[in-house]
Amino acid sequence: MIVGTRKPFAEIRDLVSGHRKILVVGCGTCVAVCLAGGEKEVAILASQLRIALRLVGQDVQVDEAMAERQCDTEFLVDLGSKKDLGDYDIVVSMACGAGVQLFSDVYDQNLVVPALNTVFIGVAEGPGVWTEKCRSCGDCVLGETGGICPVTMCAKGLLNGPCGGARHGKCEVNPELDCAWVKIYDRMSARDNLKSIEKTLPPRKNSRQTHPSVSIHEAYKRRFDKDEKIV
Amino acid sequence: MVKNKSNKTKKSGALIVVGGGIAGMQSALDAANSGFKVYLVESRPSIGGVMAQLDKTFPTNDCSTCMLSPRLIEVAKNPNIEIISYAELVEVTGDPGQFKAKIRQKARYVDPDKCIGCGICATKCPKKVPDEFNQGLGKRKAIYLTFAQAIPLVYTIDKDNCIYFKNGKCRACEKFCPNKAIDFEQKDEIIEVEAGAVILASGFETFDARLKGEYGYGRYANVLTSLDYERILSAGGPFEGHIQRPSDGEKPRKIAWIQCVGSRDASVGNEYCSSVCCMYATKQAVISKDHDREIQPTIFYIDIRAQGKGFDRYYERARYGGGVRYVRSMVSRVVENPDRSLEIQYVDGSGEILTENFDLVVLSVGLRPNSAMRDLAQKLDIELNQFGFCKSGRLDSVATSRDGFFVCGAFERPKDIPNTVIQASSAAGTATGFLADARDTMVKEKSYCAERDVKDQDPRIGVFVCHCGSNIAGAVDVKAVAEYARTLPDVVFTSDYLFTCSTDTQNELKNVIEQERLNRVVVASCSPRTHEGLFQDTLRETGLNKYLFEMANIRDQCSWVHAAGGVDVTEKAKDLVRMSVARSARLVPLSETPFEVTPAALVVGGGMAALTAALSLAEHGHKAYLVEKSERLGGSARFIHYTEDGARPAEQVEELIRNVEKNPLITVYTKAEVLDCSGHVGQFSSHILAGGKKHSISYGVGMIAMGGEMHKPKEYLYGEDDRVLTQRDFEQQLAAGGEELADVKDVVMIQCVGSREEGHSYCSRVCCTDAIKNSRKFKELYPAANVYVLFRDIRTFGFKEIYYKKAREEGVRFIRYEPERKPEVSEGGRLKVCVYDQNMRAEIGIDADRVVLSVAIRPYAESRKLADVFKLPLDEDGFFMEAHLKLRPLEFANAGFFLCGQVHGPKFMDESIAQAKGAVSRACTILSKKEMLAGGDVAFVDETKCILCMTCVRTCSYGVPKINEEEGVIVIDAAACQGCGNCAAACPRGAITVGHNTDEQYIAKIGALHELRAA
Repeated sequence: MIVGTRKPFAEIRDLVSGHRKILVVGCGTCVAVCLAGGEKEVAILASQLRIALRLVGQDVQVDEAMAERQCDTEFLVDLGSKKDLGDYDIVVSMACGAGVQLFSDVYDQNLVVPALNTVFIGVAEGPGVWTEKCRSCGDCVLGETGGICPVTMCAKGLLNGPCGGARHGKCEVNPELDCAWVKIYDRMSARDNLKSIEKTLPPRKNSRQTHPSVSIHEAYKRRFDKDEKIV
Repeated sequence: MVKNKSNKTKKSGALIVVGGGIAGMQSALDAANSGFKVYLVESRPSIGGVMAQLDKTFPTNDCSTCMLSPRLIEVAKNPNIEIISYAELVEVTGDPGQFKAKIRQKARYVDPDKCIGCGICATKCPKKVPDEFNQGLGKRKAIYLTFAQAIPLVYTIDKDNCIYFKNGKCRACEKFCPNKAIDFEQKDEIIEVEAGAVILASGFETFDARLKGEYGYGRYANVLTSLDYERILSAGGPFEGHIQRPSDGEKPRKIAWIQCVGSRDASVGNEYCSSVCCMYATKQAVISKDHDREIQPTIFYIDIRAQGKGFDRYYERARYGGGVRYVRSMVSRVVENPDRSLEIQYVDGSGEILTENFDLVVLSVGLRPNSAMRDLAQKLDIELNQFGFCKSGRLDSVATSRDGFFVCGAFERPKDIPNTVIQASSAAGTATGFLADARDTMVKEKSYCAERDVKDQDPRIGVFVCHCGSNIAGAVDVKAVAEYARTLPDVVFTSDYLFTCSTDTQNELKNVIEQERLNRVVVASCSPRTHEGLFQDTLRETGLNKYLFEMANIRDQCSWVHAAGGVDVTEKAKDLVRMSVARSARLVPLSETPFEVTPAALVVGGGMAALTAALSLAEHGHKAYLVEKSERLGGSARFIHYTEDGARPAEQVEELIRNVEKNPLITVYTKAEVLDCSGHVGQFSSHILAGGKKHSISYGVGMIAMGGEMHKPKEYLYGEDDRVLTQRDFEQQLAAGGEELADVKDVVMIQCVGSREEGHSYCSRVCCTDAIKNSRKFKELYPAANVYVLFRDIRTFGFKEIYYKKAREEGVRFIRYEPERKPEVSEGGRLKVCVYDQNMRAEIGIDADRVVLSVAIRPYAESRKLADVFKLPLDEDGFFMEAHLKLRPLEFANAGFFLCGQVHGPKFMDESIAQAKGAVSRACTILSKKEMLAGGDVAFVDETKCILCMTCVRTCSYGVPKINEEEGVIVIDAAACQGCGNCAAACPRGAITVGHNTDEQYIAKIGALHELRAA
């Protein structure tokens, strides 16, 4: 799941300050699940904005809305059919970075600002705690590394570790963090599969860092693929 | 209205419970909730017992009063419990099942029907006397309430100290009482009742520390007993929770606790261990440290006995890192210095005589049986043991020498709160099982008229403002508040009453509701905690849904808290009323749907606890499905041939197996496992795989009783040398006559193998007693042989201490070792055991023919799987986690599930049996109902909004939200939901609402606070 955290309130307030009609739009998927941009958070942010802006004498109208997923055009169009978006001076999107951008694309006449920082792809550890698990590098090696991602967990992103800086299973960059490669070793050893760790992994494809990727499902290739390779 | 079943039975459907402490209350609640009438007889003016005097409780450091108060209220509210306080049982005649009892109600000189607990009498009373509730450290008046939360809330005149009774003049209380409740003419009365059984729960009193003159209690101001100190720690105590020396009010720096004062002491006739003092002293030391970091606590002890669940971990925390110093030494004397500090003389571990000064000394006094019971027991023909505790059955700890009489709590033997609660439920279960035919013959059941439909009506709100005598009216202008309420929207009627809770006002309320066609009612008075049920009941009698009631607490939250001034209480009362009116307009009627209870139980396990539970359920008339994973029933009881006190569990369990197998109400599945569980309390269903066949069963409650298993050690040559064996193996050989042991000259026993160590930081409770039991048996067979027991602390709590003493007298040698230097066992011709003897301060070597290991008890590996099937929690050691360590040791937080035996933690056979019967008693409060109600103020999920984020699943303490995978939404079962509202607060999509607590209602209520006050 994509995990987001809400921006500091002062930053959001400064983004919307001076506008009179404000719409706060939540997203009902990942960021709702990670308690950052769901219906409740929309209500909280809207109330905070009303109070803060009226305290400094701004006459504002802050409305609240939800889209099931801000990363799908259909849901945004659906939102537009329920609310006259042209009526608002500014839209505060509580979706992840993808949602904010799609919102801006679909309603390009609207000024759309983010209320969240999108932080990572991760898992829930318990109520209210999430940890990063995946960097979406586009070149998964989990099959070779016992289900532990060195790209995410290793401070140096090493595909063939550990480096010389591992001390008592901890990382030299931050001694509070576990060394990813020691964990990989322990797990492989517990599975009696240390052979596979001896295999040297080839360098990662770093093409993702030069341009944004596109992913087309196999079944839809004929419709969209015009010589474009999936990267 | 008393429902009369056909009187085919002669047994009475009522019980008498003697003693209103935690034991008596638990017995009373269990019996009353499973269809019996209870007369709760308490000798003090109010119920609550010693637990009400405690500050905090171990091992959770929970506030004692906070845990106890809800129980007190539950007892007070229960229509089937009649509290007869300030009274004593005089005589019981007749046969078991149909006793006739005489109870003397002592004169309080206050009419309980008229007293409203306002306290004006005590304010006006001129006579101050030492307050026994505060152990004489504070003062009370001659007319008094034992403590603020007292139930019943009725004042009592202490005749011995009352000026009027002594001098014939005063009567100030009578003059000022607003309700004419004082009655100087009152006389003692004899109340006669009929009851089928009697439960004795008269509790304990503390040892009189003055009998140990060398410690100076009663002579030195700064020597206190532990109960005195408990009051000092308490925020409700004489010093409001500030730790100070009684002599000068100074903060003490160094505090010493002296253990075993009046326990393990033949010189005062108390050779038993009081079981609880080590833990309460540790708790007091920890709490003292919490109050003030500069306090340096020291505990002088013989053995630390932390044998209960979670106790050892608590003790370890206190000792290592908690700042509590432990000195293993018996203090010989305490002498007061000129500055009132105290000099303690003791011998330390190296044998040197030391003296040390302390600012305060606390004597950890032992427990004695309630002295009033000595005479009463004789009159009732109840046999006591040599120490004056009630004599109980060896494996049936609630049985007494007289049929129809049962015992529980500290009157049976010294015990802690969880074991008291367990035994209290057990006594109630056994007594009600005995009276099972008479169930529901004496209980009250109310009927109500049909509900009025108010759905489409505009709100018509009535506001009733209470004076509460002068409690509210003394500070608040009640008439002005009532006038003001009339100006609020939708309010069509307002009035004020001296006491809204009195019977005549309740009738008046009913008339007004009908005449004015009210459809919402607001009462501005005291706390919903105590009175909401009463008013809701009145509403129901007029045909109004009980959820159309709202309370404004203008007493506890207004007139009482602003006694010091600074706030305009009348204006605040108006605010509170306006808020309640705003909420009440948005209240909606909620319906509770009845569902049928399946009168059967699933019992998982096949040992002593499970068999006892199944038979006990059958005795109560309920079906039981027994699911045992192995081929045969009996569990570990089959290997316990004898106990230290002469019981024979292995024989008894064979008899139980025979009884279970021939009981038509019990179905036994062996080689079986439970595959799944669905449904909710009252209506569960599961599939069971037994011998390759799948069965499907439905049941109302589940009982987890699968026991524990023996740890298999990897140390001390176990498994490598045949001469190294476990206590269980040794016991089999002894029970078989001990012929194999004929040429054994020396036996070494090693304690704490796998217990009290890293990763298993708990005491296995039974091993010390097992070692002593087997040592004595061996010495009995071969008196010339030597037995050495290598131990860390000998934990023979309660009467087990007697056998420890006997073992020493019989020549068993006890050698103490520290965990840092464990004994070493090596092979040679004979086995060689090397151990560092802490007392001799030297390494010693013992040649042994047998080494017997006292191995730990572990939870079964399958526990985890079972916990997953039923979604039940485990504790950090892997045992099942009860709902509350102190007060709910028999059930899970998940409604409808109970536990007993070693799944809960290591315990003795008699304790497993007591817990099994207790758990059945708790289960009967559900199974004895034909139907239960679901719904009302519980959580509801809007499926269109739910995104299955699992937040509620992770938040709920009761494991209620479940995933509906087909629909992709969360379902909350109304019958299982406890209505706490945590999920609703946490839900990020606002998909969950709790009935009667909607956002709209509270926004209206809070919003009303900010509306301008009308002039």
